[in-house]
Amino acid sequence: MAFLVTSLIFALVGIIASICTRICFNKGPSTNLLHLTLVITATVCCWMMWAIVYIAQMKPLIVPILSEVE
Amino acid sequence: MAESRGGGCFPPMDLMRSEPMQLVQVIVPMESAHLTVSYLGDLGLVQFKDLNSEKSPFQRTYAAQIKRCGEMARKIRFFKDQMSKAGVSPKEILDKEIDIDLDDVEVKLGELEAELVEINANSDKLQRSYNELVEYKLVLEKAGEFFASAHRSATTQQSEIESQQAGEDALEAPLLQEEKSIDPTKQVKLGFLTGLVPREKSMVFERILFRATRGNIFIRQSVIEESVVDPNSGEKAEKNVFVVFYSGERAKSKILKICEAFGANRYPFSEELGRQAQMMTEVTGRLAELKTTIGAGLDQRKILLETIGDRFEQWNLKVRKEKAIYHTLNMLSLDVTKKCLVGEGWSPVFAATEIQDALQRAAVDSNSQVGSIFQVLRTKEMPPTFFRTNKFTTAFQEIVDAYGVAKYQEANPSVFTIVTFPFLFAVMFGDWGHGICLLLATMYLILREKKLSSQKLGDIMEMAFGGRYVIFMMSLFSIYTGLIYNEFFSIPYPLFASSAYECRDASCSEATTIGLIKTRDTYPFGVDPVWHGTRSELPFLNSLKMKMSILLGVAQMNLGIIMSFFNAKFFKSAVNVWFQFVPQMIFLNCLFGYLSVLIIIKWCTGSQADLYHVMIYMFLSPMDDLGENQLFPNQKIVQLTFLFLALVSVPWMLLPKPFILKKQHEARHQGQSYAQLDETDESLQVETNGGSHGHEEFEFSEIFVHQLIHTIEFVLGAVSNTASYLRLWALSLAHSELSSVFYEKVLLMAWGFNNIFILIVGILVFIFATVGVLLVMETLSAFLHALRLHWVEYQNKFYEGDGYKFAPFTFVLVGNEDE
Repeated sequence: MAFLVTSLIFALVGIIASICTRICFNKGPSTNLLHLTLVITATVCCWMMWAIVYIAQMKPLIVPILSEVE
Repeated sequence: MAESRGGGCFPPMDLMRSEPMQLVQVIVPMESAHLTVSYLGDLGLVQFKDLNSEKSPFQRTYAAQIKRCGEMARKIRFFKDQMSKAGVSPKEILDKEIDIDLDDVEVKLGELEAELVEINANSDKLQRSYNELVEYKLVLEKAGEFFASAHRSATTQQSEIESQQAGEDALEAPLLQEEKSIDPTKQVKLGFLTGLVPREKSMVFERILFRATRGNIFIRQSVIEESVVDPNSGEKAEKNVFVVFYSGERAKSKILKICEAFGANRYPFSEELGRQAQMMTEVTGRLAELKTTIGAGLDQRKILLETIGDRFEQWNLKVRKEKAIYHTLNMLSLDVTKKCLVGEGWSPVFAATEIQDALQRAAVDSNSQVGSIFQVLRTKEMPPTFFRTNKFTTAFQEIVDAYGVAKYQEANPSVFTIVTFPFLFAVMFGDWGHGICLLLATMYLILREKKLSSQKLGDIMEMAFGGRYVIFMMSLFSIYTGLIYNEFFSIPYPLFASSAYECRDASCSEATTIGLIKTRDTYPFGVDPVWHGTRSELPFLNSLKMKMSILLGVAQMNLGIIMSFFNAKFFKSAVNVWFQFVPQMIFLNCLFGYLSVLIIIKWCTGSQADLYHVMIYMFLSPMDDLGENQLFPNQKIVQLTFLFLALVSVPWMLLPKPFILKKQHEARHQGQSYAQLDETDESLQVETNGGSHGHEEFEFSEIFVHQLIHTIEFVLGAVSNTASYLRLWALSLAHSELSSVFYEKVLLMAWGFNNIFILIVGILVFIFATVGVLLVMETLSAFLHALRLHWVEYQNKFYEGDGYKFAPFTFVLVGNEDE
């Protein structure tokens, strides 16, 4: 559940970033496509990294064992 | 040659492929040639081909002009030399200076050079006389002292002898005394020479004189305390004044020769006191005169150099520009009628109107009756690659170009590199504290961009400044991955929620043996902060990071193969789609895509299956039962299918393509047994160099071997490249361990001593270690490894990179050369 919610948040941030880029840097169709590609790639990369780290901690096989407190 | 912007079924995208280029031919009448080339140089969008490559530099049309420019450049270098010696710096050029004619410049340079050379020669002469006079003065002083003291002791001795009337002392008395006390009739005529000899040679000088004259000389030397400037060499030297007494002409000539050999300067000296004093005043007077004259000469020289300095940069630029123009003019070929020049060059298609504009302006400005002709030639040669980059994308494009310039119109890896390169760097660097430091450093460079770009920076600063936008992206992504790894100078913070782990019971007695358990929801963003400092931190993080590296690696390699699909679609090569792209995708994804899926399933279900075991036994004994390594139902059948598909895809990418290419080649060249004639429809007899081969060679064995190598490289590379991505894990582990060590062993230990002095030292060491090792060395290291991952693992899936870069004739670079 939390996973889906956060993934949706990432998607939303990506869409907002693309729209902002389109508004601020509107320079013609081929350039806009380049900007869109870059923003989408960045969003996908960031989401992938977050998702990997999140899923890895969902059902852990190793638990933290504290070290001796002095 | 497919010259459309959008290939296949995709809309065009900036920077994805090279700008379409065309070979253009320009025919200019002679009188407007110079101006045309000058305007085209200002435009900077044409790369001229050298049409006279067989001719030597001396045979070319404009060799004389180039020699002229070379002469002027030499004079300018001479001026620069003189100016730097005198400490005059040239004035900076303002933007809009009046245009100057080359002939005027030449004349002016000639005049100024003659003047400067004359002033220099005069100065040298005056300086030499000055030095000689200084030496003469010293001789007068010292020899005068010597004669005076000898005279005094002579008179005292004389009075003694007269009073004593003894003869034994005669041996110790100075020779002069003999000259004065002995009967005039018995006088031996002694001559003497005075001068200066360098101190290191003085002993040898004395000894050789002694031997040469068989001991019949008397020499006295006296040391000069300060060093004197030698008139011949112009350098300071330590010298002694000497006086040599001799008898006879032969001895005199020997002494003269020896003096010459030793470089001892001789000066005339007279015995009479009156003459000595007179000479002294004369010399002093002349010295003062010379000093003022030399001063005036230097002032005049300085004024001259300053006048040169005013116009120096302008002349410099003009001469360089002219030289470049003449070099380019030499590349154009003279047509048969000798009335016009023909030039060929590559230029982007979008620049056609601008070029025609420039040609027209040049024709008008040079008052020629005939305009220039501009036409596009068809050719099979490969054009140069040209990407229009702005200050942000230039650095990334250079990173890609450093490996190899893209072939004309193939997909440009730098499109995705702009994001994936900083991202992979950040995966290896992950610490948001260090990321913020990098961000601050690069913001400084970016905010002072305008000022720093006009300055001359050192080599290292130049590189850092050129890559400022790359480092900016790197730092932003590093802050993100630092938040995910939860490391701020290696300290974790529960920024987003509290940790998910708790003790098993209230007393926390088993926290250090069995450990905590997960009670709450997963920590929502990044690695749980409880892990730092625990004993099982490394096993957990290693497993996480290694699996992450594999997942990211498989994703990037898939992207690479998809780029090859874009290429195949653009160049309309169906054989590449069906017999290269498809089997490659199947192979990679059936093996490593499947591994990635298994990793995700294992994480989602929390199964204890051993993935190494699963993958290896998938190959070794695929029919075996999986037992406790079963992650999903029907896994065995799925694995068998994937194994079969992977095995089938290898011959699929190896065998069909060479045969199909052979059939295509035969279909194309059916019945063609001779080459086509060149199709050029100009009326002038001009050859288009190269590209006129009509019959391509097709060596089947070569194609087959090429395909074999390609297949083996891909298949073996799939395994090795996937493993290569594990460096993402390795470097991030190294970074976090180093950071942790610096924090715990330096800062915390210094804090533990409770001494303010040790604390300050500790903080300083921590700062230096962080900046030196983590911010500089680790940055370079992660940069290098991210670069390698892009150049090898990503680009070898699709990039050919055997093009050449578009190098237009432009004056922008002329100003930056330092010859």
